Amino acid sequence: MGIFEWIRLIVGSAFLIGGLVIFFTELFGIFHFHYVLNRMHAAAMGDTLGIASCLIGLIIFSGLNFTSLKLLLIIIFLWFASPVSSHVLARLEVATNENLEAHCRVYTDLATLENAVVEEPSQAGAAPGAGSDLPAQEQEQNTKGGALS
Amino acid sequence: MLYHYIYLTVLIILAVMIFACLIRAVRGPRIADRLVAVNMMGTMVMVMIAVLALMLDEGYLVDVCLVYAMISFLAVVILSKVYIGIYEENRHTDNGSDQEGKGGISDGNF
Repeated sequence: MGIFEWIRLIVGSAFLIGGLVIFFTELFGIFHFHYVLNRMHAAAMGDTLGIASCLIGLIIFSGLNFTSLKLLLIIIFLWFASPVSSHVLARLEVATNENLEAHCRVYTDLATLENAVVEEPSQAGAAPGAGSDLPAQEQEQNTKGGALS
Repeated sequence: MLYHYIYLTVLIILAVMIFACLIRAVRGPRIADRLVAVNMMGTMVMVMIAVLALMLDEGYLVDVCLVYAMISFLAVVILSKVYIGIYEENRHTDNGSDQEGKGGISDGNF
């Protein structure tokens, strides 16, 4: 084999092994997390990055022909399809879970979420269960008092 | 011949990962867990079909892979919509069966 063949073999194998590593990370995340909305975060990674890396490796192996064009079409289709299916799955989980507050904080409308973010801007995404126990009026009063003083 | 062994190794690793996904799909406590695992299995099967297309040097298997991607996406969307509809219907029949009557499957968010 010439030097070009060796470069093609090494680069394609690197992309293929990278895709397999991404798939393994996805599998680890699926078994590591305890709730489905966290598991979805790990599972969406393999749908886009894992299969894109694997198919780019196969495109490099295949060369420039019609097969590689169709492999590229699969990657582009999955980039559009994977966020939609993740969104639909998250809607299924939120719509059918009876006690969603046991797993994550739930803001019923946008004003409550904005009040919680304004009140504690650093801890809004960090501490679970910090702002969910206050009702909406109390948070609004706290925000007004902070603005006046 | 070297490429053949590379494809064979990738296929074996992907088969083991698909079995691990199947364990998650069986053990998943909620139905969204199972759907996530089935979606992952579909992604890995797509890579397997694409590897087979290059290993056997059959170009039409890539078309099979593209159709598989579309059907896998469609299956996840349809199954979640159907399950939301079934859940809403069960809740309607549990809560107010006398005053509500029967809300069909189209009564939910369908």
